[in-house]
Amino acid sequence: MTKCEQFDVVIIGAGISGAIMAQQLGAQQKKVLILEAGTGTDGRFFNNNDKKGYESYMDTFFTAMAKIPNAPFPNNPNAPQPLVTDTRNMSDGKPITNNGYFVQMGPNPFASTYTRSEGGTTLHWLGTCLRMLPEDFKLKTHFGHGLDWPISYDELQPWYEVAETMIGVSANARDQNYQQIDNPAVHIPFREGYDYPMEKIPQSFLDNYMNQGLQGMSVTIDYHHYPIKVVSTPQGRNGMPRGDYRPVGAVGNQNLGQRCAGNSNCVPICPIQAKYNALKTLAQAKTTGFVEVRNQCVVSDMALDEYTHEVKTVIYKQYTDTQTTDYEVKTVSGRIVVLAAHAVENAKILLAAGIANSSDQVGRNLMDHPTMLTWGLMPTDIGAFRGPGSTSGIPSLRGGEFRRKQAAFRIEIGNWGWSWPAGAPISTVPDLIDNKNLYGAELKRAISSVYPRMFRLGFLVEQLPDPNNRVTIDERYKDQLGNYRPVIHYQVTDYTRAGMAQAKQVSDELFAYLGVEAYTQYKQSDPGYVTYQGEGYSYNGAGHLVGTHIMGFNAQTSVVDKHQRSWDHPNLYLVGCGNMPTISTSNPTLTMAALTYWAADNVLKALEQT
Amino acid sequence: MYRLDDFYDLSATLTDYPVTRLIGTGVGNEYNQTLSQWVRQDVLDELYHCFSQLERNNDGQVCPQALRHQLLSNEKYGPIARNIIKMWYLSIWYKMTDNWSMTYGIPAYSSPVIGVESPTPEDYIISNNAYIQGLVWPLMGSHPMGAKQPGYGTWSDAPLNSIASIHLQ
Repeated sequence: MTKCEQFDVVIIGAGISGAIMAQQLGAQQKKVLILEAGTGTDGRFFNNNDKKGYESYMDTFFTAMAKIPNAPFPNNPNAPQPLVTDTRNMSDGKPITNNGYFVQMGPNPFASTYTRSEGGTTLHWLGTCLRMLPEDFKLKTHFGHGLDWPISYDELQPWYEVAETMIGVSANARDQNYQQIDNPAVHIPFREGYDYPMEKIPQSFLDNYMNQGLQGMSVTIDYHHYPIKVVSTPQGRNGMPRGDYRPVGAVGNQNLGQRCAGNSNCVPICPIQAKYNALKTLAQAKTTGFVEVRNQCVVSDMALDEYTHEVKTVIYKQYTDTQTTDYEVKTVSGRIVVLAAHAVENAKILLAAGIANSSDQVGRNLMDHPTMLTWGLMPTDIGAFRGPGSTSGIPSLRGGEFRRKQAAFRIEIGNWGWSWPAGAPISTVPDLIDNKNLYGAELKRAISSVYPRMFRLGFLVEQLPDPNNRVTIDERYKDQLGNYRPVIHYQVTDYTRAGMAQAKQVSDELFAYLGVEAYTQYKQSDPGYVTYQGEGYSYNGAGHLVGTHIMGFNAQTSVVDKHQRSWDHPNLYLVGCGNMPTISTSNPTLTMAALTYWAADNVLKALEQT
Repeated sequence: MYRLDDFYDLSATLTDYPVTRLIGTGVGNEYNQTLSQWVRQDVLDELYHCFSQLERNNDGQVCPQALRHQLLSNEKYGPIARNIIKMWYLSIWYKMTDNWSMTYGIPAYSSPVIGVESPTPEDYIISNNAYIQGLVWPLMGSHPMGAKQPGYGTWSDAPLNSIASIHLQ
């Protein structure tokens, strides 16, 4: 074996949490190595001879028939990734072992995916940057189930500000504190005088139409009235800067992406990088001169010092290209090791190494936002298929007393018509031609009079931490480099199903209020079809994978402590959404980023002490 | 380029867009080439002959009923015509059914499509540029997702009147 390279910090994963960690440590002149399992573009925007740049993702996207979230990114059997098209109905009760990257044990399919490439899943995220509610940090105390966090909203609040500045979030604090909503449970305290680095992204014509149309609407749950309010969504997307803030454009092409230009393609890929992605933070990290990013290096194991229980070495397989299995096993060591590979991958690596698991909680408490869609036609042209995927939501039901009995949810207003529920227009126009037998002027009229009225809502329903929802590994299931494939056990429980039923009820009332012609259909053959009290509902994955190595109050019941450090190994830190003990109703990236800035601060202090 | 003018003429009738608008997409040649790749020349000759013989109104437009009776409902020509419409709207070549291909054949010397090994490929997007030029996007009052960016904040503007967009050719 060759000599083991030494670093101050070895970070596993070049997604947003790894990038934040590297940038923060590099800025303090700590010598950092990032090991990334997937391929990368090394800071290039344009292709350069045989070296691919970011634009190669666009090329792949344009000609991909299924424009799914991972469509632009390379199919890489050496670092395989899940695809939404892999998800299958599991009503026959049989595990699905050979369809895609995940091994699905059921009883329900896990429907979310992530990206294994330099930049991680931020390459295809929507950019939604919601803060959590104060009550979300204390579910157990308030509602008697779920878990409390060892950190409070007030403690995390300054780190939210750091994360919002570094990601570059566009929003107005006076909207986002939700004081305008007559439901105190959802109010979020902001620091006096604080505002986001950029002004809110203009709300879509649809948002404004709904805002007017829903004036005066409320819903009743358990004799409580909750107002239905449309609120602009904070977004990691460049808009109009406040004060001295300057937006960060595309990596390798700073002239691009200074402001969102309305490509209507945030998921799966923003062509100009006006939407934040972790490549930006990685570029800043490299600029420090102390950070090296090594792509195509899949970490497979870690070795411990038997006396100190510290992680002594990180063992990885470096492969030469994606289509052959040639690889070399290498070893590095860091005074501190940070696992930032994604909730599922972090759990997988820890389970493979057999470490950090004295609590037996590694891999457990996997959560997502089962996302239920409702769709229909607005009575008038609302200009569908324009702008960022979503620019507003209805946060009124993110919190409240009803959480004792049923899941809270956030309503997302979709700007892209029926693209999610029906694949419109690509998947729906052939039907007009082949089956409705339209051509010429009639076909034109059918499209231009219907498609601009297409409308859909998404209901992001919370799940509670459940130790039986988990990622495991199994000798029988490995990828072509001999690394484990995630084996997933997953169930959507009645708490969440009751939330879905409530969400459907709210949707029905809202459609009636606005005069929407409903087209929602949940089919027994849908992968995510579930029933509750005799009615059927279908969920989709949100891509919000949370809770596989939760933080907690003690080593018996959690994997990391408040400082994001492993209870078992003093020089091992875990970052990413896996640390979150509950998912609640916000897209988790902003909270995860805030926690990672906090974690980076803790790592720095630990380095100073040793 | 095999019978390009005929291809445009037929396309104009099938889509109700004037030939100038279709030429303006810049991808008509690619579509015509795609057509020639998957439909034999003698079949295309028959299709264009059938089209040229259709009864026309006083203004020179093909009678809709004649188009439906003799072309769209014809088992040989109908699937080709519908595929031509789908190419213009969605920039996708949809595989002809096996039954159709066995009955009417495919060209003997189909040039291989990049990344597609089978001589009768599954559905595929004709090219990057073709995706961007799909007619469905402007007809919806939008733009191809991921291209032809309309500019910051445009999504807040009132949508184009949909009746107007029919005439905006």
